Amino acid sequence: MSRTWSYGLAGLAGFVALLEVIPRAGLVPAGYLPPAAEIAVALGGELTDVAFWVALRDTLQGWVLGLLLAASAGIALGLLIGAVPVLRELTASTIEFLRPIPSVALIPLVVVLYGASLQSKLVLVVYAAFWQMLVQVLYGVRDVDPVADETARAYGLGRGARIVHVLWPTALPYVMTGLRLAAAVALILCVTGELVIGVPGLGARIAVAQSSGAVPDLYALIVVTGLLGVAINVGARAVERHALRWHQSVRGEVAV
Amino acid sequence: MRRFLAAVLSAAALAAVAACGGTSSEEPGTTESGPRKVTVGVIPIVDVAPIYLGKEKGFFSARGIDLELVTAQGGAAIVPGVLSGDFQFGFSNITSLMIAQTKNVPVKIVANGAASTGVPGKDFGGVVVGKDSPIATAAALAGRKVAVNTLKNIGDTTVRESVRKAGGDPGGIQFVEIPFPDMPAALESGQVDAAWVVEPQLSAVKAAGGTVIASNFTDTAPNLTIAAYFAGTKLIADDPDLVGRFTEAIEESLAYADAHPDEVRAVLSSYTKISEEVRAALILPKWPTEVDRASLERLSELGRADGIFGDATPDLAALLP
Repeated sequence: MSRTWSYGLAGLAGFVALLEVIPRAGLVPAGYLPPAAEIAVALGGELTDVAFWVALRDTLQGWVLGLLLAASAGIALGLLIGAVPVLRELTASTIEFLRPIPSVALIPLVVVLYGASLQSKLVLVVYAAFWQMLVQVLYGVRDVDPVADETARAYGLGRGARIVHVLWPTALPYVMTGLRLAAAVALILCVTGELVIGVPGLGARIAVAQSSGAVPDLYALIVVTGLLGVAINVGARAVERHALRWHQSVRGEVAV
Repeated sequence: MRRFLAAVLSAAALAAVAACGGTSSEEPGTTESGPRKVTVGVIPIVDVAPIYLGKEKGFFSARGIDLELVTAQGGAAIVPGVLSGDFQFGFSNITSLMIAQTKNVPVKIVANGAASTGVPGKDFGGVVVGKDSPIATAAALAGRKVAVNTLKNIGDTTVRESVRKAGGDPGGIQFVEIPFPDMPAALESGQVDAAWVVEPQLSAVKAAGGTVIASNFTDTAPNLTIAAYFAGTKLIADDPDLVGRFTEAIEESLAYADAHPDEVRAVLSSYTKISEEVRAALILPKWPTEVDRASLERLSELGRADGIFGDATPDLAALLP
């Protein structure tokens, strides 16, 4: 564990060093990619600005709400569709048709419907994150061992009990994978929506920095979104390990 | 990506309007107690500084308006916002409003927005070339690549007029659509031969050694009105009192901004990230309280000659207050 961390930090340090050297050596114009030190100074300035924290809160709010909506809808519909074969056949082609549509293609539509508001952001986030959840849940339900299910049935477990004791534990690792993917996608769509539409948040702040020609601030904000992505991934993995601590994949990981 | 979005957004906006003639959001009635909440869609650029300043100075609250400013990334997101009722008012450039008018989008100007300084070479927008460019006059732009932020809009129309005035042939110019913030880099890397920029990019190009070869706004009309505040015709019909109070507050803000450039430069720091040095040096637009009608007629003529409005002619009487 500590080894992974130190390697990760070493990689990051190498990246920062490159970022410092490349513009200073004139490989790219420093006006458009400032050295790491300048970005760090701009980052410090951001951290002392109240408006930055408001933007961060706005982005996180969109992310949390969007992810909650997408996850609950994905799990509920995934279990329902997965458990009823007719529904699965009815929806399979539609899901495959809708799933690859990039959420950003909906931007013109949501702008007309909701303008530069939180709803616009939520539509984009939920649309993108929902499919990640749904498809994983469907895989999870399909993975149920028929022998286990038959056994449970033979012992007289009802539909509800079988969902709780057989289906859910089987699907949970898939749900957790879906959640981890959805969490990352939700952040990307949150920032994209803010950047393109102008909904308040870090993305809108990036757009303002860009139109103001404040290049170091621009990269400082990009660094913040990157760190946010790392934090979300670390958090999602922690949740996953906790929820699946009984599962052999996680128990195996801990034993090593 | 942005070009595509802008095109799709305006198409979608028009479709939505055609489909339902203004969407369903209910206008909240004027409340008896407390100020009326008013949301205005603006673009985070220098041109809208007066409304930020006016809000700070209390010109809106004095008229019972609790002003909220929402920054959108360009007019393409503001017009639908106004039509859907998310914004009561919006800020847009004049040509875009004319295009909307010819497509029967129900919007109308309620107050002036921003105008050219009218001083050639010292305007807040202009046609620039990079350091060491062989191009010295607008006449030499014929057959060259020129960047504008939106094709078939106020940029290409006015740049053509500059070329015509300088004795060049505007027919051969290749216009390239590039967002303002990316123009200094496009110029520096040689993707385009010249660019139509506005502040703060104008300052950035000049700082990098570029020169202004034409002032396309002043070439088009002496005091060209560039942008205006507008509302949906439904709000204007339903709540003339609110619209009247908003117009008064904006006009007071415009007059105040015009008289207090230092305060304008200071307020820029509240909603943009333009650096202090650039804020101190950049050229501010003029903010007259009245729309210059003659300049709009000129813009409309030029736009029609360029085919911006299709077969239609903007009905300025319907667009102007």
